[in-house]
Amino acid sequence: MKNRFEGVIGRRDFLKTTAMAGAAALTMPGMKAFAAGNAINFQTWSAAVDLVKSHVAAFEKTSGLSVEYANSPWAQYRDAMVTKFVGTAPMDVMWVSDAWLPEWAEAGWISPVDEFDSLMAYNADAETFCTDSMTYKGRQYGLTYYTDFMGFIYDADKVAAAGFSAPPKSWDEVVEQSLVMKEKGISDFPMMLAMAKESWLIEFMSAMVFSHGGRFTNDEGGSIMQDEKNGALSALQWVVDAVNKHKVVSPGCVETGELSGLKAFASGNHAFALLPKYRLAMLNDPAQSQIAGRAKQALMPMGANGSHATVGWMRFHGMATQAAADKARADNAAKLIEWFGGKSDGAYTFQKLLFLDIGAGFGVKPLFEDADIRAKYNTYADVAIIQEQQALARKKDVVTPWFGDWNEVNGASWQSAILGNVSPADALKKSGEEWDDLKSQA
Amino acid sequence: MQTDRHLQSAGRAPGRSINYRRRAEIFRWLHRAVILAGSLAVMLVVLSPVAWLVSSSFQNEAEIVSVPPHWIPDQPTLKNFKAIFAATGDETVTYETRNKQDPASGDYIPSTAGNLLPAMANSFIVATLVVILNLLVGIPAAYAMAKIRFYGRNGSIYFILTTRVIPDIALVVPFFLVIKNLGLLDHILSLVITYLAITVPFTVFILIQYFEGLPDELDKAARVDGCSRFQSLTRVFLPLAMPSLVAVILFAFLTSWNEFLLALMFTQTAASQTLPIVLASFTSDFTISFSFINAAGLLAIVPPVIVAIVFERYIVSGLTAGAVKG
Repeated sequence: MKNRFEGVIGRRDFLKTTAMAGAAALTMPGMKAFAAGNAINFQTWSAAVDLVKSHVAAFEKTSGLSVEYANSPWAQYRDAMVTKFVGTAPMDVMWVSDAWLPEWAEAGWISPVDEFDSLMAYNADAETFCTDSMTYKGRQYGLTYYTDFMGFIYDADKVAAAGFSAPPKSWDEVVEQSLVMKEKGISDFPMMLAMAKESWLIEFMSAMVFSHGGRFTNDEGGSIMQDEKNGALSALQWVVDAVNKHKVVSPGCVETGELSGLKAFASGNHAFALLPKYRLAMLNDPAQSQIAGRAKQALMPMGANGSHATVGWMRFHGMATQAAADKARADNAAKLIEWFGGKSDGAYTFQKLLFLDIGAGFGVKPLFEDADIRAKYNTYADVAIIQEQQALARKKDVVTPWFGDWNEVNGASWQSAILGNVSPADALKKSGEEWDDLKSQA
Repeated sequence: MQTDRHLQSAGRAPGRSINYRRRAEIFRWLHRAVILAGSLAVMLVVLSPVAWLVSSSFQNEAEIVSVPPHWIPDQPTLKNFKAIFAATGDETVTYETRNKQDPASGDYIPSTAGNLLPAMANSFIVATLVVILNLLVGIPAAYAMAKIRFYGRNGSIYFILTTRVIPDIALVVPFFLVIKNLGLLDHILSLVITYLAITVPFTVFILIQYFEGLPDELDKAARVDGCSRFQSLTRVFLPLAMPSLVAVILFAFLTSWNEFLLALMFTQTAASQTLPIVLASFTSDFTISFSFINAAGLLAIVPPVIVAIVFERYIVSGLTAGAVKG
């Protein structure tokens, strides 16, 4: 019997046809990629996507250049970018977190931009800690577009209900007011701290340490976190006591991430919280929060030997090394960086719109004087307090190529101390030893 | 008398007989009650998150953080779903037309909300292509390995299985280089190709096990009756292998539908991004809405649930195909 299948098409013909179809299918997207070769490849994480698109559209119209804009989720952005760098995917400009700068710079994936005078001119307007955060080994790697700091936020109604006329000014007063709230049944755990091991943890820890007058490292980059006076001990001791002795912070804080903590605070479970300042807008939005209109910001409480200092962070536009290697590409990339991180059409348009749209902080001081911005801030916050606190923000002092490895150990050490498994001194001793070990290997 | 003595020695009062039938009935009811209680407890654990997913997707962001939670929304809203279905396509976004996501004015919907339906379409196309290609490649391969004795047969089977021992994360960079050199970055074909590398070995393995369970005599009888190998496969074995084919379809579809890592690496615009990537992007914006994410999650589970319902009667027999040999 003749095979019906063979009667229609032979095996060899079948293989030949499918191979040609496959080759054609593979070639078409390749041609598309080739055609897009002259565009500026711009990679961000998935935030403010519509605003970025609109600003890109304005750039294309003004400059005549085309931009291939792509984005991926924040939580996996670093991993995706590392793969793309290693795989030499086309890349010109990308968003960079200050925490990744040493790693990416050491790996040669991004290049300094300080040879572009047009970009360096904006340093005069930028907050000092922003410029510091974009600088590694004396070279500046980009222009900021978003900056924020860890804020101390309180529920004004709960503070008043507890009989206090003002929010706490020191960490001791936080305990004092919290204990009264517990006693009056206003809140079981008045203070919200999010100490889960996630990307925000270092910001929470740094805010606590800086406000207690401590540091993780000294100016030479050596570990001083274990130092009793100048290190992180008093900050960690406060957290441990707040959880275990005063019981004003939930032991569940070691499993609470920033987002969960925010939602818990928005539900009215707590009176005080450490949260990124830009969350104030959401907390005072009746459509999103049960405490709308009551969420206020105070200066970061002081430790016994501390100040109102807090930690600031920033994100910036960096230039890929593959773009920097080609003068024409580098010039185009610098234009896009300036359009977003500097002025476009004579104004800090992107930073202003980012703030007006979603409350994200800006890193250039003149915007504090902008009438639109002041009006907007005053609808849900006190711009004077924000400006004062931002001026007291400091960059993280642990951002190094070995930060990721150390952060794992340090986070686990803090959590162990909070859970009462080790003493705060032993926890920080371990963190310090890990830091020194990693530094010696670098 | 002897019985009374026996009862006394057993510690029971004489004259009271045991109603074994009643005792058995009580035990039977107790048994049923325990099973019912256990089932209800399991249902509660399994269905509560789904119930909350449904309920919260109809709430606004303020209501979703109410204490205690509102299982039945006080003010049900379709705002989240409207944002998803009101997608305006891929036209140029300007300052005037942008989604401002302004939390202070209650607009917490992420600006990428409109990407959800295109992402679902991408996921569906990818998953469907992967299923079809899995069947086209896997069925002949499994049939050949199960029914044709050739040199290197066992080695081939073990080699195919070995490819699945390597974790996906270890394959990301090599895959990336291949896809980049093919010019397929940010194209759904990149996902189809790489998902085939993941799913075909399992498909072949499951089908081999099932085909081997079918008697060789069927194959021989078909050949004696004049069938070619291809006809023997399509007319005799495939109709008998329906449960295992359903298992393969489900496995390939769900794997492709849910896959995250490779999609993250190979796609970067709405033109090619699949559902898991777009869902993850909703958590990376400045404004993060749990109620919107839950609405998106609710839509995301609809296609797999439909597939599961359609193939429900084949699922158990398919998943256990080859598990027991007679």
